[in-house]
Amino acid sequence: MLNRNPMCCRIGLLAAAASVLAAAPALAQTNTLYKLETKCSVKGGEPQACVVEAVNEGNATLYRHIIGKSVETIRVTDSPVRMSIWVDSQKKWKNLDSAAARFSTNTICFNDRDLCVVNPNYLNSVKEDRPDATAGRDLIRVQFGADGRIDLTCYDDGCKGVGK
Amino acid sequence: MNRALNSPWNGLGLVLAGAMLLPIGTALAIESPMPDSGTAQLIARGGGGGGIRSGGGGGGSRGGSLGGGGGLRGGGNSGFSNAGAGLNRGSTRPTGGWSNNARVGAGSGGPSLNRPAAVNRPAAGTRQLPGAGQGGDRMANRDGNRNLNRDVNRNINRDINRNVNRNVNRNWNRTVNINNVNVRPGWARPGWGVARPWNYGWYGGWSTPTWGWWGARAAAWGVATLATSAIINNAVNNAISSNTTYIVVPNTNYQLLFGTVQPSGNNSVSFVMQTNGNNYQLTANCNQGTINGQEPSNAEEAELLNAACQVAFGSV
Repeated sequence: MLNRNPMCCRIGLLAAAASVLAAAPALAQTNTLYKLETKCSVKGGEPQACVVEAVNEGNATLYRHIIGKSVETIRVTDSPVRMSIWVDSQKKWKNLDSAAARFSTNTICFNDRDLCVVNPNYLNSVKEDRPDATAGRDLIRVQFGADGRIDLTCYDDGCKGVGK
Repeated sequence: MNRALNSPWNGLGLVLAGAMLLPIGTALAIESPMPDSGTAQLIARGGGGGGIRSGGGGGGSRGGSLGGGGGLRGGGNSGFSNAGAGLNRGSTRPTGGWSNNARVGAGSGGPSLNRPAAVNRPAAGTRQLPGAGQGGDRMANRDGNRNLNRDVNRNINRDINRNVNRNVNRNWNRTVNINNVNVRPGWARPGWGVARPWNYGWYGGWSTPTWGWWGARAAAWGVATLATSAIINNAVNNAISSNTTYIVVPNTNYQLLFGTVQPSGNNSVSFVMQTNGNNYQLTANCNQGTINGQEPSNAEEAELLNAACQVAFGSV
């Protein structure tokens, strides 16, 4: 039955594939930057082993933090800088309130200390992208407004009391 | 429309308008005081979208109608050109590439936003960095004493010859233009020990060099010890704190551009060092104890080898 008219079947498959491609939203190309074995902490808890997968997807970079069986994904875009976290229960991205990084501990945290990770790759990249702004800096904190854009950036002593 | 534009009256009007605006603008530039805090905040928040790579944008990064100093580009510095968002996407591949293991210690060493405790520096009696400084002082003193007694021209010539012969191995003949070398890779920053992007190395986590190549040659070089890893690490930390790209190799007249250190394979490392105003590209094998394929010919070269290998592979 299936082989009785193979040409017809192939054409049908091709047509189906074409229609699926046409109907699907623009699929962003993905490109894995790295997988990093490191440590994470959740809500100020004890450090635990985790893996960070950094993936370029369209105009964003996704950071998947795989901690045991759970996955926390942060999406970062440039121009303007926005950060959001995937809320799996709601199947949507939620803007972050804040993010902070300390170079000397190679740490970046999202939403205060809700999710912290040792990620030297990220900080090496930031350091090279912004050599002047980061020279001599150790702590960087950003706060996002309701629209997801940066309302405030502070450095080192300038961050005292920020976010409290 | 075209007729209006071409009208001489219209042209005259434009010139007059320009003449009227010019003094006002000049007066603003010269006389206007610093904007009050509210205005300054508005300018900062004007932001220009926090463009990271463009270097533009205000600290607020709010893309308002005021464009992060853009209106001042023709004139001088806006003061906001470097005030974009502190963090960005982090997707640009840094020098040395991506690490796949952060090498965080097993028990502790988790993520933290707290400033790390100050590293204990070696006691003054055992610190060798000042010794390196003394090296420079020593030469200056010698020169000064000699200059008192001898002809200046002759001394200059003798110093040059002596320095070249004494400080630089004849086999180190590959000088480099430092302007073509990246001396500030992303990992050369606070936290550099974990930030080093390579995940391999022969060093083995020793805290004090016990190189296999060291003991047999030490007596011949006339020194008992090499600078410890703590001394090298502190030198790098201090250099980073002061935004300096080199460390003085303890007990030498060499400067190691620590950001140029790059391992090749498990045992070898390449780096650039400075001495006598020249920059030399060198390679070292940390396991075999060689620089440019040869054993160190004196203690200074051994110290350089030790320092480069510590920066590359040493525990921090």
